[in-house]
Amino acid sequence: MGAGVTPAEGSVKPTAGFTYNEAVASTVELIRVRKSYGGFTAVDDLSFEIPPARIFGLLGPNGAGKTSTIRMMIGITAPDSGCVRLFGEPLRRRAMRRVGYLPEERGLYRRMTVGDNLVFLGRLAGLSVATSRERIDAWARRLEIADWVDRRVEELSKGMQQKIQFIAALLHDPELIVMDEPFAGLDPVNTMQLKDVLVGLRTAGKSILFSTHRMDQVEKLCDSICLIDRGKSVLQGSLSEIKAGNGRRYVQIDYEGDGGCLAGNPLIDSLNDYGNHAEIRLKSDADPQELLRTAMRGLRVIRFQVMDPSLEQIFIDLIAGRDD
Amino acid sequence: MTEFSIHKVWIIAKREYFERVRTRSFLLSTFATPVLMGAFLILPALISASMARGIVRDSERPARVVIACDNRALAELASGELMRQRGTRYEPSVVSPASPAEHEQLDKHLDAGDIEGYVWLDGPARASRHVVFTTGRMGDFILERRLGDALSYAFAADRMVEQGSSSGDVAATLQPVDLTAVRAGKSSSAYNAVRGAAVVLILMFVMLFSLLSYGVMVMRSVMEEKSSRITEVLLCAASAQELMTGKILGTGSVGLTQIAAWLAMAAFGASRSLYLRTTMTVLEVGPSLIVYFVVFYILGYLLYSAIFAAVGAIFNSIDEAQQWNFVIILPLIAASGLILPVATSSDSPVSVAVSLFPFCSPILMFERLAVHDPPRWQLALSLLLLVATIGAVMFISGRIYRIGILMYGKRPTIRELSRWLRHA
Repeated sequence: MGAGVTPAEGSVKPTAGFTYNEAVASTVELIRVRKSYGGFTAVDDLSFEIPPARIFGLLGPNGAGKTSTIRMMIGITAPDSGCVRLFGEPLRRRAMRRVGYLPEERGLYRRMTVGDNLVFLGRLAGLSVATSRERIDAWARRLEIADWVDRRVEELSKGMQQKIQFIAALLHDPELIVMDEPFAGLDPVNTMQLKDVLVGLRTAGKSILFSTHRMDQVEKLCDSICLIDRGKSVLQGSLSEIKAGNGRRYVQIDYEGDGGCLAGNPLIDSLNDYGNHAEIRLKSDADPQELLRTAMRGLRVIRFQVMDPSLEQIFIDLIAGRDD
Repeated sequence: MTEFSIHKVWIIAKREYFERVRTRSFLLSTFATPVLMGAFLILPALISASMARGIVRDSERPARVVIACDNRALAELASGELMRQRGTRYEPSVVSPASPAEHEQLDKHLDAGDIEGYVWLDGPARASRHVVFTTGRMGDFILERRLGDALSYAFAADRMVEQGSSSGDVAATLQPVDLTAVRAGKSSSAYNAVRGAAVVLILMFVMLFSLLSYGVMVMRSVMEEKSSRITEVLLCAASAQELMTGKILGTGSVGLTQIAAWLAMAAFGASRSLYLRTTMTVLEVGPSLIVYFVVFYILGYLLYSAIFAAVGAIFNSIDEAQQWNFVIILPLIAASGLILPVATSSDSPVSVAVSLFPFCSPILMFERLAVHDPPRWQLALSLLLLVATIGAVMFISGRIYRIGILMYGKRPTIRELSRWLRHA
């Protein structure tokens, strides 16, 4: 960590402490990376690791420094200080052949056909024309866009273009896949389709980095995450550990009676009361059982549930805590 | 991160090339430009030639011109000279003596459209040599000039006859001079300066036009990739250097293809048309001139396209880049303004200076090579300066390009640009 950020509850493992599989080199390693543009620090002392065969979420609000981080990771820009290692070696252009990148916005030639676009990108990634064509066919069939391969990109819908972009990133069978907002603009059916592909890729041993501000989208998909805000890491580690560390603190109660008795309860850190439904965050050492007992004294409790916090909730709490 | 892959440059250039060559606008400009240019050059010549032959008159009948004069011999000399002029279809007639009644009659004929006009050569007119040609239609300058020539001839011939010269003497004495300019230092083949200038002008127009349009094409292409974020995908697979090099080479090859097509068309035309072939031989559009053209075109293109690539990377839209474009093409505009002065005094110190200035030399040194043989050292120096400037511009542009293509939104200030240069 090193940036002086103190995340909640010791739920965060320091970077050096990743223990997924130390025998195998991490696919990506960012070590105390810093990048500023003019007077603006986009990325500030950021470190994280992505082990092989994992899905990693790089999360944060708009402007947090996600894209700047990705650009350094894939060698588009160089960090001012710190270092980036890919596949266990300092970043070299040659390593880019093993990386697939899906940018936040569509990056295709609008006047060229889908097929020509993909062959061009495939060739730049080191494939022959024949291999590119073979793989394009296979992907097009799998993603159900075979009829569109000979169309010009400009004729395609945004969602369709996103699928093409997706294929472009995967065509050369990269070991590391970097995706900036991969599900933006996709309908639920296509989102599921691409999600299945990504899960399959992880099973096949690929490392995947997601960058998104939509935390709900990756919550179920990621093995580990790094939450950044204003260029700094505020929380990172495996998702299960983070949730466990922040868990047992969120409670929902459906009740009948006067909810006023919940207010001022010393166990409660924050309360959101809707009249017959309340969302509660407990103080860090409070026991939910204790809250249930107290609540039953004043109310008729219909449902009492201890929740796993959403990433978004954790993030909001963290940021709110930081600002204080 | 400094590996430079020729293979990637090739792939990028190839895409750029085929993407542009396949467009309708490329085909159109390749095939329509020579046609338009031909029309532009040939039509005026055709029109004036047919006017001289009287073809474009209202009807096919020859122009009837009356010469009214008390001195019948003078009038007939003028009439005969007018008829003898090559390629004309005039039908002069003589009225003598020139009485007031005849004057009225001629006006009536003119009103009725029976005659094109008449010359009234009375005593005072002959004495002052100030002659009035009354005509229903103004502006037939060829007829006016021919008539003037014929009258001048008639006055001189009449005077010589009066002084006792024989008609043979008169013809021999008054035979007009036929002037032909021959280019020094070359083979002694006849060289038509006017047509020579025309060919040099065409070549320089093609050069200017191509430098500008293909330079701008590089700029637009950079902007397009930047705004559609293709750059980011490409940068993952290729370096900024490879991208810029591929783009410049690919687009430049399109320009060369177009010029090659035009040369091929000219060669084909020459093989089919004796007229074109003789014109080209006479004008000395030999292989060396073509080689100079291609060399200067390539160098000029490299220089300007590198600048345009940087401009494309700096700005987000054509509109934003507009005012800077003007600054860039200023040397080219200046060069086009200097084409005529350099043609007329190609060895003056000013001509030498501007033809060495790298931003103008592709146009002006080529022009000096075309119209006159400049000293070898000047050619060598201009090439050296040009190549050195290309190197420097490529270096600076490359740095701006590398950073600019990833910068969106607000356009940079000069101070930010200089920071890019230092930190790239």
